[in-house]
Amino acid sequence: MSKVEEIAAAVENGKVKKVAGLVEEALAEGISATEILNVGMIGAMGVVGEKFKNNEIFVPEMLIAARAMKKGVEVLTPALKEAGSEPVGKLILGTVAGDLHDIGKNLVGMMIEGAGFNVIDLGVDVPADKFIECMKENPDCKIVALSALLTTTMPAIKNTIDAIVAAGLRDTVKIMIGGAPVTQAFADEVGADGYSEDAASAAELAKKLLAEVNG
Amino acid sequence: MIIIGEKINGSIPSVAKAIEAHDEAFLRDLAVRQEEAIGEADGFIDVCASVPPEVEFDTMRWMLDLVQDAVDTPISVDSPNAECLAQLLPYVKKPGLVNSVSGEGNKIDLIFPLLAKPEYQKWEVMALLSDDTGIPKSAADRLRVFDKIMAKAEEYGIAPNRIHIDPLVEMLCTSEDGIAMVEEVMTTIRAKYPTIHISGAVSNISFNLPARKLVNMAFVCLAIKAGMDSAVFDPLDKQLLGVIYATEACLGMDDFCMEYITAYRDERIAAVTKKK
Repeated sequence: MSKVEEIAAAVENGKVKKVAGLVEEALAEGISATEILNVGMIGAMGVVGEKFKNNEIFVPEMLIAARAMKKGVEVLTPALKEAGSEPVGKLILGTVAGDLHDIGKNLVGMMIEGAGFNVIDLGVDVPADKFIECMKENPDCKIVALSALLTTTMPAIKNTIDAIVAAGLRDTVKIMIGGAPVTQAFADEVGADGYSEDAASAAELAKKLLAEVNG
Repeated sequence: MIIIGEKINGSIPSVAKAIEAHDEAFLRDLAVRQEEAIGEADGFIDVCASVPPEVEFDTMRWMLDLVQDAVDTPISVDSPNAECLAQLLPYVKKPGLVNSVSGEGNKIDLIFPLLAKPEYQKWEVMALLSDDTGIPKSAADRLRVFDKIMAKAEEYGIAPNRIHIDPLVEMLCTSEDGIAMVEEVMTTIRAKYPTIHISGAVSNISFNLPARKLVNMAFVCLAIKAGMDSAVFDPLDKQLLGVIYATEACLGMDDFCMEYITAYRDERIAAVTKKK
């Protein structure tokens, strides 16, 4: 097994302590930070996401894998900066106004980070204004992801999208939505660019939307 | 949970028959299956001959040899005869558990000095809260026995984390206050000694009741909550073991429920017993 494969296996199995050591060893062996990130971590999280989607692993197993990756990235960051490696893209994430649920939203955030994004997590109960403010502060951010867990807070997704349209910013981003009661039909109705039903699919959707933006 | 696998015990009729017939394969199989069930958890495989005193040493030696040949899991050397236990220790290859001493007679004075010796520094010991008066009825009396045992432990330099206390689990069906008394003993000990092990024979609780497994499960949940972190039971009982893992997860003792999930993945626990 190559060092990078070992890193991937350790990330997949959520071995936090092991990952940090392996990343240091890999860097010492002269393996590029970008390869470690892309193959050892983002690749591994892709496998984890796929397994989760297929009901082969449980939520905690995904959580510890994400935690292991985070630790690995921490060790890797100085080398990545030196190599001039940039995150694949920025994404603004939040649970919409009136909704306090954060577990699903956090899972989505982790998996999207796992896909190599820089995720700006605005938290829960986020008013439309706050999304818009954040978009203005981050003009390089091309994706906004909105979450709602309740049928009663789903309309806040529509309100947020409407506010983004009213602010004249709709064309600057792709909007993706999700949450237990959310459906593709709802996404079409409120004019979102995409919907995904779980955290792993959300990461894939974010990559797909980014590819569309970048042409 | 430190799992002490109880299946190799001459007081179980099928095991008594195997001992009588010198059926090595039967005992080896029990050892191997328990080792698999214990998995990555900490544990011991108990070995108890339950034969008359005049043949106990030889029988135990034969059993210890074949169990140690079959498995790597540490052994719980089990005899009511402390002299026999002391004589058996040299024949146990890796540090195990002396099962047991109590406040009765000179048991402690025989075993503790032995465990203080350099060659037995890693051994652990099970201590029962009974004394020459029998099994004390009240929590206060059992705790008095406990204090005496701990005074001896200190005298001989046996650290609390080498001691498993069996507060003596008795049958529920004749108790007037459920498990309240034994629970009080457990919580008091746990508060005083955070690193000591609190153990007990789980299935004693359900003696003489129907559907015993249900009572065992209910007991083990409450006992873990009260501080139990070691137990003598059948590790092949996937439901009971599952309840133990689930309880520890519920009590926040299992980070991300990963021990529970791993035990499930290794097929060591199950929600239902599969019919063969």
